[in-house]
Amino acid sequence: MIRILSSITLVATPAFAQDLTPKAGPQRAPVAILDATLHTIDRGVIPGGTIWFEDGVIRGIHGASEDFALPEDTRRINGRGLHVYPGLIGANTTVGLQEISSVRATRDENEVGDMTPEARAAVAVNPDSTVIPVTRQNGVLTVGVIPAGGLVPGRAAVMQLAGWTWEEMAIEQDCGLVVQWPSRSTRSRRGGRSENDGADEQRQQIDKAFREARAYLEARANDSNLPTDIRLEAFGPALRGEKPVMIRADQLEQIQSAITWAVDLGVRPVLLGGRDAMLCLDLLREHDVGVVITGTHRLPKRRDAAVDEPFRVPARLAESGLRWCLASSSPFYNERNLPYHAATAVAHGLDHDTALRAITLSAAEMLGVGDKLGSLTVGKLATLMITDGDPLEYTTRVRRAFVSGRDVDLSSKQSRLAEKYREKYRQMGLIR
Amino acid sequence: MRSVVPFLLAAFSLPAQRPPHNGPEPAAPDWQVLTGGTVHTEPGKPPLDGASVVIRAGRIVAVNPDGATPSGARAWDCSGLSIYAAFLDAHVGVDAPVDESRPTDHWSVNVLARRSALGGAGIDGKTADTLRKLGFGAAAIAPNDGVFRGAGAVVTLEVPQDGERRHVVRSDCYQSLGFRSRGDRNDYPRAQMGVIALMRQTLSDADWHRDNGASPKPDLEALTADTTLLFDTTDELEALRATKVAREFGRPALLLGSGTEFRRLDALQACQLPIVVPLAFAAPPRIDSIQARESVTLRQMLTWEHAPTNPRRLIDRGLTVALTTGKLGKRSRFHDRLRKAAKHGLTHDQAHAALTTTPARLLGVDDRLGRIAPGLMANLVVVDGRLGGEKFETRSIWIRGRHHEIETPPRVELAGRWSAALGLGGAQVDALEFETNRKATVLAGDMKVQAKRVRCRERQVDLTFDAEPLGGTGVVTLNAVVDPKRMFGSGVDASGRRFGWSARRTGELAAEAGANKEKSDEEFRARLDVELPVPFGAFGVTELPQKRSLIVRADRIWTSGPNGVVDNGAMLIRDGKIAWVGPASEAPSGIDAALVDASGLQVTPGLIDCHSHTGISRGVNEGTQAVTSEVRVQDVINPDDIGWYRELAGGLTAANQLHGSANPIGGQNSVVKLRWGVDHPDDMRLAGAPGGIKFALGENVKQSNRGNDYRTRYPQTRMGVEALMVDRFSRARDYAESLARGDKARRDLELEALAEILAGTRFVHCHSYRQDEILMLCRIAEQFDFTIGTFQHGLECYKVAEAVRKVARGASIFTDWWAYKFEVFDAIPQNGAILHEVGVTVSFNSDSNELARRMNGEAAKGVKYGGVAPADALKFVTLNPARQLGVEDRIGSLEKGKDADFVIWSGDPLSSMSRCLATYIDGQRYWSDEQDRELRRAVRAERERLFQILLTLDDSEFEDGENNGDDAALEYDNFPGECGCCDAEEAR
Repeated sequence: MIRILSSITLVATPAFAQDLTPKAGPQRAPVAILDATLHTIDRGVIPGGTIWFEDGVIRGIHGASEDFALPEDTRRINGRGLHVYPGLIGANTTVGLQEISSVRATRDENEVGDMTPEARAAVAVNPDSTVIPVTRQNGVLTVGVIPAGGLVPGRAAVMQLAGWTWEEMAIEQDCGLVVQWPSRSTRSRRGGRSENDGADEQRQQIDKAFREARAYLEARANDSNLPTDIRLEAFGPALRGEKPVMIRADQLEQIQSAITWAVDLGVRPVLLGGRDAMLCLDLLREHDVGVVITGTHRLPKRRDAAVDEPFRVPARLAESGLRWCLASSSPFYNERNLPYHAATAVAHGLDHDTALRAITLSAAEMLGVGDKLGSLTVGKLATLMITDGDPLEYTTRVRRAFVSGRDVDLSSKQSRLAEKYREKYRQMGLIR
Repeated sequence: MRSVVPFLLAAFSLPAQRPPHNGPEPAAPDWQVLTGGTVHTEPGKPPLDGASVVIRAGRIVAVNPDGATPSGARAWDCSGLSIYAAFLDAHVGVDAPVDESRPTDHWSVNVLARRSALGGAGIDGKTADTLRKLGFGAAAIAPNDGVFRGAGAVVTLEVPQDGERRHVVRSDCYQSLGFRSRGDRNDYPRAQMGVIALMRQTLSDADWHRDNGASPKPDLEALTADTTLLFDTTDELEALRATKVAREFGRPALLLGSGTEFRRLDALQACQLPIVVPLAFAAPPRIDSIQARESVTLRQMLTWEHAPTNPRRLIDRGLTVALTTGKLGKRSRFHDRLRKAAKHGLTHDQAHAALTTTPARLLGVDDRLGRIAPGLMANLVVVDGRLGGEKFETRSIWIRGRHHEIETPPRVELAGRWSAALGLGGAQVDALEFETNRKATVLAGDMKVQAKRVRCRERQVDLTFDAEPLGGTGVVTLNAVVDPKRMFGSGVDASGRRFGWSARRTGELAAEAGANKEKSDEEFRARLDVELPVPFGAFGVTELPQKRSLIVRADRIWTSGPNGVVDNGAMLIRDGKIAWVGPASEAPSGIDAALVDASGLQVTPGLIDCHSHTGISRGVNEGTQAVTSEVRVQDVINPDDIGWYRELAGGLTAANQLHGSANPIGGQNSVVKLRWGVDHPDDMRLAGAPGGIKFALGENVKQSNRGNDYRTRYPQTRMGVEALMVDRFSRARDYAESLARGDKARRDLELEALAEILAGTRFVHCHSYRQDEILMLCRIAEQFDFTIGTFQHGLECYKVAEAVRKVARGASIFTDWWAYKFEVFDAIPQNGAILHEVGVTVSFNSDSNELARRMNGEAAKGVKYGGVAPADALKFVTLNPARQLGVEDRIGSLEKGKDADFVIWSGDPLSSMSRCLATYIDGQRYWSDEQDRELRRAVRAERERLFQILLTLDDSEFEDGENNGDDAALEYDNFPGECGCCDAEEAR
């Protein structure tokens, strides 16, 4: 019986995990958006401006009074009354690795074992995930895909949300090695706290693994006969400082211990989560640690906390002078709500432009792709969107989006289902 | 009549038939007289100094104030000692066996009313020994486990003689009930609301059985109308729940308390039930790291600080209080705790009554126990010291005239200064200062040294100290015997020289050196004599917001009513109702009302969450059975949930508290207003709201995502879900018809709730996802001719909108949740818009303590996905949920005559960047930005004040306590930040 059930699941899964939204290929002709309000992020707002891009790269940004010439075959988009923003970046997601939470067969974010640095998120991102067009629809055009679970779950990737294959999607196949720093107190399901007695031992386990890898790599550099250990090899980029170690930690003690560890080891830490970052600013500043804050749509962890505590974290970070960006705390299927996390921070004291930067350029910088993404800048990838208003506002709609110049379809399974059933009620005469 | 049986038992058992004695028969006088003591005959009467108490054949025969002793009686000298009637503990839990199940027994493993505490081994020797040492001569014992646990009995605590059974003063003194169920995870009930439902059904059955029962039902027969019910409660909310059950069935009742009653004193006072109170005090929370300090709650700290005032506060409120030794980490600490309670204001007389006459009266044995008077049982305790005093040492206890010596080692109190003359080579020791029996300082002139090890056993003391700092050499060992004023001892110094020495007590240590860190008793009392916040802990209040006439002026008022959106609007509020709303220019003038100036701001009706699991105590799901329509969320409202406060801060004013979705037919709902700070949980309820009930379809009820252990409960398919529902509705119809015919049918609370659905007085709120199952329920509703309240979640309602429109009051849905399980894979955010276009009443709900704080944003998504007009989208979280709940005549829009529930926003309520500035319910401002800021400051100051006290405590004090300061805290976030429907749980 069990076997029959699971085989049904196996057969059924690929069918519902494939999206049928049409895909755009690489940019073929130059595109210009004319007479739009350009929100460059790095150089302010240009009203009535023109932006044009070719071969997936931004070639020109011009003010209303500037003279400029466009290549002859440029496709022109009238941007009057509209706004152009760089695509939003969800810095901390599992988009593409998960399709349906409760269906195990559709989940690829958590490899078995505590220590799996060899696991690469990029290769498991399903380009036909139904979640991708849904996410894109709201202007989230790039995501950091971060494996989860265990102690060292694997390597993260920066993926653009367009492309025929995961290779085409990958902006950065390896953007950092993820470490899940163990917490000494864990939260029980019913909201109580309990001590995690194994935390110190687990922390040592992580340290040991990194040091073993270092020894291995040094040995291998001198002795090419040493057999390959792909697990230990996978620590290489982080140990050599080429890639950051992306450490998940939220509590004060956890952050303190994680950062101290990383500094001792000589790796470059980026903090994921960072709920209590405000309590150890000096430490984070001293070591220039960047923080990827997890969303504002969270409950305060402590009963006595101010009701708006999570809402105010970004505003307080902005005053601190740290490098930081904002990720969402929404589940993978609602990464589209990223801008509203930023908006809530604005309602509670964060400067609006800083909020926008926190989900664009700052996010790109945290993921190590600040030179390619995150702002409307000549030379950067043409990953941008045209909207009818402020993307932080609920009621704003994204009219059009380009991902590295690819003119992406903004429909999704959801919009098509809506249309399909509207047709039903039209046929029944219930709606017009 | 009641007292006759035990009386006879007593008469027969005293001159017991014994086997021939092995050896010479011992003879002892059967008269005894206790002389010279201070006799506390009963609380409230002045003690008799030097009176004699004469006992014979197990009874008190005389109390002679003049100290007369009858000749021929054996005299016991009690000079300098106090004599009390031996204490009576009204509840000591014991194990009692469950018989082999017989066909006449109740089906539930939790109904064991037939059982008696006397059916098992009873109180064990060690517990009896401890109780005697504490001065207890008798106790009511009661079975420990189950919901209906069985009968309690009052027994005496003497050491039984060979083969003797414990003497029973009264059997059946009460029926013991508990809120913790026994059995495994599949046994009904698991959730607190299930426990209460089982209590209700069983008591109802007992009443029915009395008049109509044919076959014997021992469990029901044990629950006669005059059986006192003792409810064992684990917190103050359970105490309130117990009271309601007892009242509903007109049963006499007693509460076995938790020690936390002070946290809801006003509500408890209104209950007027006698309480058997444990001296369980919370241990102080440890705050020895920044992290620990952050994690500890004000509620925990305040519980620690005020717990010792509990007995006093309850008595001050006029409640009947008996004390029990139960629920302490160590029963033997009872008198330490009593001392603490006394320090916190409990008087000698109050303690005395709570240990003697009050429990005797509550247990119906006051004709035999509780006082020192002729004719009563000779249960006496002889004490060195005084109840609640610094000293309380039991010297002996008499139970039914039998004498029990309590072996207390002779002890000395070393604390104080002792002068000595002790030459040690270079050093001249002239005094020892003892802080306690374990801590001493050795002084030589103005030099001093802390003694290394101090041990005091019986009347001997040993200590060592380093003589070097005093000018001597090496370590010196001393020993001495102690009488109250002198020490005589010997010693050995570093050279091995032995010497003799002596010391004389010359005074007390200065007060500040003692353990007592309070500046003065008065200050201490004043600190504790404060009005306690409700809910207890952070953000609690000591009074409710004022209700007064208001005139609200705002840039824009979104009425969600016939007035639509009014720019430059005004609203007049009287007696908590809206008296007028419209353009400010047309507002009635000359009204005597306080101005709420919201110029530059916008106003909406209070937001309503049609799917909430906030504030449901101890289990959102009674998922052990497929049908649990008898359970009621309203029985377990938790007004302490901090979620309420946070939601108020987001403009929420009312919520539909729903049972979870673990079973096809779940429990009854509760519709509440977020009246933070009311005394009783029921004060939150929206009076007059029609009843509702949770149904559920699909994966959750099929247990699809729960692994292989859950593959046996019917239904496991959507086919079975339909069949089960048809079956239950058919039975409910039969039941209703039978009642209509006048049959004397047994009241069946499960079918009763379903019959109410058929009668149209209870709305089904059905958790549902797929279009097939939604249509299926529509057809059942048509078949049985009832209207569905809402499809909850209803994520595929957009596929069968025409059917939903026809048979349901509406659809209450998620805006954009999807993909967390297979059945929600076709969920779309346009669902609401499409349904709205087709003519279905749509609401957006939260199902989450987190989302419930920002429902205005959910409404805005209605505009985004599908282009609903903003004013209509706002109705998705105001008027429409009110309609779905059948309370649209009371709430949901700003119209004349409706409740003045409204919110002031910093800007457009549909903007992601606006926030709530004030929330009013019934015209009372329950939350505002500025009030919140004040409360935050107060919380910080209170926390800091308590931290400073905690940081000065001795280490040992952290060990002392029952650690119950945090128990309710565990409930605050039932399912943290997620859906209480099991969905998010399954998803993780």
